[in-house]
Amino acid sequence: MATQTLGERKPFSISPALLAWLGFLGLCIVIGLVSAFQVFWNGLYITNMSDAVPWGLWITIDLSSIALGAGAFTLSAVVYLFGLKRFKPIIPLAVFVGFIGYTCALLTLVMDIGRPDRFWHPWIYWNIHSVLWEITWCITIYLTIMLVEFAPIIAESRLFSRYTWIGTAAKYLHRAAPVLALLGLGISLLHQSSLGATYGIVKSRPIWFKPSMPIMFILSAVAAGPALTMAIAYIVEWVTGKKSISDDILRTIARFSGFALLVYGYIRFWDLAAVTYYGRTPSVSEAFHLLSQQTPYNFSFWVFEIILGVFLPAVLFLTPRFNRNPAYLVLGAIFAVLGILVNRWNVTVGGLFVPLSYSPGTLYQLPPGKYFPGLPEWGIAIGIIGYALTMLTLGIRYLPLFGKEEHS
Amino acid sequence: MSKKKTKIKLELSRRDFLIVGGTAAGSIVAAQLLTTGPLSPFASFKQAQVEGVNQAGATPVGHRWGMVINLDKCIGCEYCLRACSATNDVWVDPTMERPEKPWNIVVNDKTSTGTPFFFSRPCLHCADAPCVEVCPVQATYHRNDGLVVMNYDRCIGCRYCEIACPYDARKFNWQARADVNSYVPTWGIPEVERRPRGVVEKCTFCIQRIDAGLKSGFMPGEDMEATPACVNICPVGARLFGDLNDPNSKVSQAVSAEATIRLREELGTEPSVYYVIPKEGL
Repeated sequence: MATQTLGERKPFSISPALLAWLGFLGLCIVIGLVSAFQVFWNGLYITNMSDAVPWGLWITIDLSSIALGAGAFTLSAVVYLFGLKRFKPIIPLAVFVGFIGYTCALLTLVMDIGRPDRFWHPWIYWNIHSVLWEITWCITIYLTIMLVEFAPIIAESRLFSRYTWIGTAAKYLHRAAPVLALLGLGISLLHQSSLGATYGIVKSRPIWFKPSMPIMFILSAVAAGPALTMAIAYIVEWVTGKKSISDDILRTIARFSGFALLVYGYIRFWDLAAVTYYGRTPSVSEAFHLLSQQTPYNFSFWVFEIILGVFLPAVLFLTPRFNRNPAYLVLGAIFAVLGILVNRWNVTVGGLFVPLSYSPGTLYQLPPGKYFPGLPEWGIAIGIIGYALTMLTLGIRYLPLFGKEEHS
Repeated sequence: MSKKKTKIKLELSRRDFLIVGGTAAGSIVAAQLLTTGPLSPFASFKQAQVEGVNQAGATPVGHRWGMVINLDKCIGCEYCLRACSATNDVWVDPTMERPEKPWNIVVNDKTSTGTPFFFSRPCLHCADAPCVEVCPVQATYHRNDGLVVMNYDRCIGCRYCEIACPYDARKFNWQARADVNSYVPTWGIPEVERRPRGVVEKCTFCIQRIDAGLKSGFMPGEDMEATPACVNICPVGARLFGDLNDPNSKVSQAVSAEATIRLREELGTEPSVYYVIPKEGL
């Protein structure tokens, strides 16, 4: 059977639509590479980041892509920890999307750090007190786990079919999958939260310093990650015209996402109440006042983060009227992803916009940090998106991400 | 309808009993270890408390360099800024388009009653420094004498320290330096290398002077050779430098004699820089 399909398929049949798509991806990647060259050549000076706002669009992309890769660990948990075996067909895709998310984050990080040539320092020089050190290690380990988890799938691809030993090795690895998935789960849970802690522990920044930060990050990731995986499964189905994962599974994932979003929204509500109402301090009030006066923070928070990012997807995922139609599910996932992006942007840039107050006097204040991403930053962003979509396209074309049951 | 009685029976085998008992005993031991022993996450906290007691006590060990800035005396001449920028070869944006600041800033400030005064700020060299804590590679670290300094060869340029510093005392090298430092040679001669592109940098209290000075028998804070540039240049003596562990040093005496504050004490960062407040109060 497998050999037959192999024979039928012409490896280099490219339809005009695919050609246009590849051209688009190529353009994105070229834009990214040109920007990357610019940045490596000139330094971060050409970005719009500054000492007042040292983190910007790239860190937002970083956080978002890791959060959106959370589908991998959430769905692995569903299958391996809670034993819901019927979700198994989605695991390869989820892990693949997770892998793309994490590699996107690493690529952006390499652009963002001032000395990309020293990217390996956290592995050698340990500061066990640093959240960022822990995140680096977790991401490294988790990426390795995902690679190992994914190795059997790569080994199954036609490329390696002539080497039998790879297949045998893959079989053993496949048996270890549940253990790896569980290990990955712990690591993943840890660093998804720690990304929030990166902000939550900074005691001098009024809108960051709160214990709920890690919880917000993990919850939003658990909610939006699987939704993205679900949406990708549908989009792939529409593009290739092949039904690979049953509607039932995808709809259940959407409903899970919907509930998770509601839980996230609920805790977010109490977080907001605690920070801005019951437990407000002068510095926090001032910070929010400044943000609402001088930036569209309030608008983007309520409209993009809460209404479009949490409630709309929750409604689309949970009400029978909408969740029977895959188009609405994909739409919901897009809004959930948008919500994550806006949330990470608001946290990062919003937090840095509020100036530090350390002066003993009352009148001197540092100016608010002004920031809007510059051209090279957008260029890198486009390049990263191009990379993600290219990986996805290649993976779907050449890796047996779906229909593993057929020949095993 | 037959009455179905579900009886809850508790059957404990010896094995179960051992497991339950062992778990209970283990938890108690673990709780003890976690709350009091050396494994306890609170241990460092307690140690810090003990150290606090030691500091107040009579026998402090080694130097702990500190500075006293007299806000009442400061005239806002910016000499400290200039001497610092020359001595440490700090880049300052000549166009002032970007918000990059020198290591040592001087700004206009006003007290709550409206009296103007000048506020200047080097790095405060916190005893519990957020920047040291967050650095993923230990590029920023505490020296034994309490100074917070950087290993520029190790920094990866993630700028987390810049974000974590409550006092905005850190500066990133956004580009490779090719500028002519306009403060040189009028305000001093660079004593340290320029930092490369892509690393964060900060005030060091001029460790190059402290270290070389101590070796040659000079006392930081007493002898110009071993004292930070900003302290030496101050025309009104608004800055004092010295060993906070030595009760006879200028700084210790000033701290005990004058009304001083430290910036944002509530954060628990324990800065080594004390400010003598203006006579009018703050």
